[in-house]
Amino acid sequence: MTAIAVSPPVTGKSWLVRIAELRAWLFLAFLIVFFEIWVRLGSGAEFIFRPYNLQAIAVFAAVPLILGLGQTFVIISAGIDLSLGFVMGLSSVISAQAANIGAETLGLSLPLAMLFGIFVGAAVTIIPGLVNGWLIAYLKVPPFIGTLGMYGVSRGAAYLFAGGMTVGISNRWFSAIGNDRFYGVPYLVILTAIACLILHYVLSQTRFGQHTYAMGASQAAARRAGIDVKRLTIKIYLLSAIMGGFAGALYTGRFSAGAPQAGEALLLDSIAAVVIGGASLFGGSGTIWGTVAGAFVIAVIQYGLVLVDVEPFWQFIAVGLVIIVSVLVDQAQRRYVGGRTVE
Amino acid sequence: MDRRNLLKLAGAAGAMAGTVGVAGSARAADKVTIALIPGLTADGFYVTMHHGAEAAAKALGVDLIYQGGAEWNVALQVPIVDAIIAKKPAAILIAPNDKTQMIQPLKKAFDAGIVVVCVDTFIGTGVFQTGSGDADFPICYVASDNILGGKMAAAALAKAIGEKGKVYVSNTKPNISTTDQREQGFKEGMKAYPNITVLETQFNDDDANKAAAQFQAVFGRTPDLAGVFGANLFSASGAANGAKQAGVAGKVKMAGFDAPESIVGQLKDGTFEMTIAQHPFEIGYFGLVAAYAKATGNPVPTAIGTGFTVMTAKNIDDPNVSKFLYSSK
Repeated sequence: MTAIAVSPPVTGKSWLVRIAELRAWLFLAFLIVFFEIWVRLGSGAEFIFRPYNLQAIAVFAAVPLILGLGQTFVIISAGIDLSLGFVMGLSSVISAQAANIGAETLGLSLPLAMLFGIFVGAAVTIIPGLVNGWLIAYLKVPPFIGTLGMYGVSRGAAYLFAGGMTVGISNRWFSAIGNDRFYGVPYLVILTAIACLILHYVLSQTRFGQHTYAMGASQAAARRAGIDVKRLTIKIYLLSAIMGGFAGALYTGRFSAGAPQAGEALLLDSIAAVVIGGASLFGGSGTIWGTVAGAFVIAVIQYGLVLVDVEPFWQFIAVGLVIIVSVLVDQAQRRYVGGRTVE
Repeated sequence: MDRRNLLKLAGAAGAMAGTVGVAGSARAADKVTIALIPGLTADGFYVTMHHGAEAAAKALGVDLIYQGGAEWNVALQVPIVDAIIAKKPAAILIAPNDKTQMIQPLKKAFDAGIVVVCVDTFIGTGVFQTGSGDADFPICYVASDNILGGKMAAAALAKAIGEKGKVYVSNTKPNISTTDQREQGFKEGMKAYPNITVLETQFNDDDANKAAAQFQAVFGRTPDLAGVFGANLFSASGAANGAKQAGVAGKVKMAGFDAPESIVGQLKDGTFEMTIAQHPFEIGYFGLVAAYAKATGNPVPTAIGTGFTVMTAKNIDDPNVSKFLYSSK
């Protein structure tokens, strides 16, 4: 009887493993110190100690991070969700239209129309989520191809529903969700933090989370251990799509408009955040906190380089290099710690 | 029995296809066919341009084909150009996705005897029929004069900020002819105001989230930032949201470019101080007229410049201004 290695192992972590898990946070700390020195030398101002900068970075990281949370589950299960960017765009468009219809046609009050918009926007994403899961679990389509197909389908649907335009909303409650603050903290950041806490709990404490790790480490072993891999796959892609739907609704609130291409540029950032956060694209490893650090690494680099007035194109190079270095460190660490070797 | 019916059916279908084919070719002989390939299909600007081209096609009795990619991408546009060439229209109106990469694909159309007219964006330098260079074969360039548009934005923004302070351009991606020219025109226009400094341009990759963060970072290091020119809609609305997040909405003045219907609310609530509306209907209309003229053997000017309208909260209810909003349907 083979014991299934459910990682991360709960007991007996060596100090080396612990440091490895903190890798993304160490890297984030290094970046912050780096920019702190640069900003102080350059202009005498503070970087991370200035609430303005902190708030700007947190808002910047929020939406890509929400996409990254669902993507973390998918990547841990050894899959990938490429449809996420346009699932987010679809939800952004639908939630804007639903909020408008709710207020104008159904005669709902503005807060109710907002909730209706968010609910319908998120509910619509169930369709691409289920289709992704079904293609991958039952029809054995590789995740890369299946979700790439849904990328196109949801993109087309989003553009069709929007009629090729952005869909404006005039609902101050909906706009407040994306822009107002609670004791100085943007709602956007509070909601993102709540999502992180919930999904951290789900991933680390529930059976669903543990099964996700097991399936990513070895699908065959997970199946032998009695895990219903097909159902699990559908659940994972459903979760990812619904997080995309949530991100889309928040985007609509923030920019007071639903846009089909809202998540297009964020998809790769979400994958990068998960990978920088220490998840392996081969599955079986990764944490929510790692993804949080990964999203902030990207946000800090892009924000910091503009703040210190570096030529714009360096931003792309910097983020690219960080991803490569991150994966190299991951490989090296596996070799030293003696982790699972990559097939 | 079943099979026999099936055969009959197939025969009938074949006969029908035959008649349709004959009818189709007969019509094609009478009518001039012109294709319009937009920069991307899902965009109010090109939707409105299509309306303009349709209006001219109807007036001239031209068959209009409308085919384009879903996004701004050379790799998507090239196969569409190839497919259109295979249909042998008399002329192609196209908004090329890249100044240099689209030269060779369009050269093929030219070599096949098809009249090429550039609308909105261009290839090469945008100066055609000079007899020099490898990209002077398009017969005409019909577009907003984007340098002029940038200058108009500069003048209007300078006035709004009291002709002093720091401004920057929030731009999408580099090497797109139109947005490059708007930035160029804006910078040239701002030279007339010695008390205005134009800071480094920020490229946001058409991501409003990034444009917002860039605004916050630029404002973080330049608290005396007075205004931003967004070279396209996403750049402008992203920067405007950055101002909102930074708590300086309305204080740092936002000048946008383009005018979808959703802009009205944003002008009225102060998100945008102004926006520069192009006239895409005119571009489609005159583009088609130029192509038709050339295809039927008449001379055509090498460039047709269409105008702009500066929209503000004050003038947007005037029907002479609001008629230039881009239509979504």
